[in-house]
Amino acid sequence: MTIKYYWEDFTPGRVFETATRSLAEDDITRFAREYDPQSYHTDVDAAKNSPYGGLIASGWQTCGVTMRLMCDGYLLETSCVGSPGLEELRWLKPVRPGDALRLRSTVLETTPSAKQPNRGTVLFLWETLNQNSEVVLSMRGRQMFLRRTPA
Amino acid sequence: MSHKYYWEDFYLGQVRESGGYSLSEDEIIEFARTYDPQPFHTDREKAKQSFFGGLIASGWQTASLCMRMICDVYLLEAASLGSPGVDEVRWVKPVRPGDTLHLKTTVLETRASRSRPDMGTVRSRSEVYNQHGELVMHMSGVGMFRRRKPGAD
Repeated sequence: MTIKYYWEDFTPGRVFETATRSLAEDDITRFAREYDPQSYHTDVDAAKNSPYGGLIASGWQTCGVTMRLMCDGYLLETSCVGSPGLEELRWLKPVRPGDALRLRSTVLETTPSAKQPNRGTVLFLWETLNQNSEVVLSMRGRQMFLRRTPA
Repeated sequence: MSHKYYWEDFYLGQVRESGGYSLSEDEIIEFARTYDPQPFHTDREKAKQSFFGGLIASGWQTASLCMRMICDVYLLEAASLGSPGVDEVRWVKPVRPGDTLHLKTTVLETRASRSRPDMGTVRSRSEVYNQHGELVMHMSGVGMFRRRKPGAD
């Protein structure tokens, strides 16, 4: 795939917005059986009697959907070479079957690499919103990108 | 349902460790096709040409597997009320097909809720190691738990 965005293209304040993606009840229970088998993620009936009042997606699956939205939205067209990690991750609202999720990525800060002249780091605010425009997941994290023009 | 662990059962410095969990190449590719289709997670040949020199697991799959280990080690037996989030997630080393991972989780802080006398929070640092004893990922997360005796202290 052709690279459209390099490190230089992520300027502070720039915002990327994506299309939507949703999780069916089956997607939620299948993921949870493998990675997060708490009963409010795996069992519709048990979930009704939980504090959440119904089935909700594992927060880690919401992270996965967020990553997929990012990939489809713009990341696969970038020179991304991975991520060292996240400063903060917050699950702000439950995600329920059928919720239509979309991602808003905001560039907070960019830093050239001190060691590698051909790359730089970008700090993002990633917010995942549902169909009511409520932020369900918020993360601050870094990704590394190759530079169009090495320093 | 009765639970084995309530908020009072967590204490500063408490350590729990899991057995080994392996990730196969197929599991890495299947996860990545759905959640993180970057070529170094989905395509063995392209991954060889990448910065990583071979297929590696999505960091989200490592984090999800860390969650599974937390579930198996204590969370499914605990009066858990969920989590508001995690801090300082670090993907320190790539996870490759066939790697066997295990968890070490340490309690950093326990705190009674001011607004809810039936609840308390526990902050833990979870570390994931590979079969060579190398740290591949760590994070610091908060869990909310029911109290055995609401507002007892």
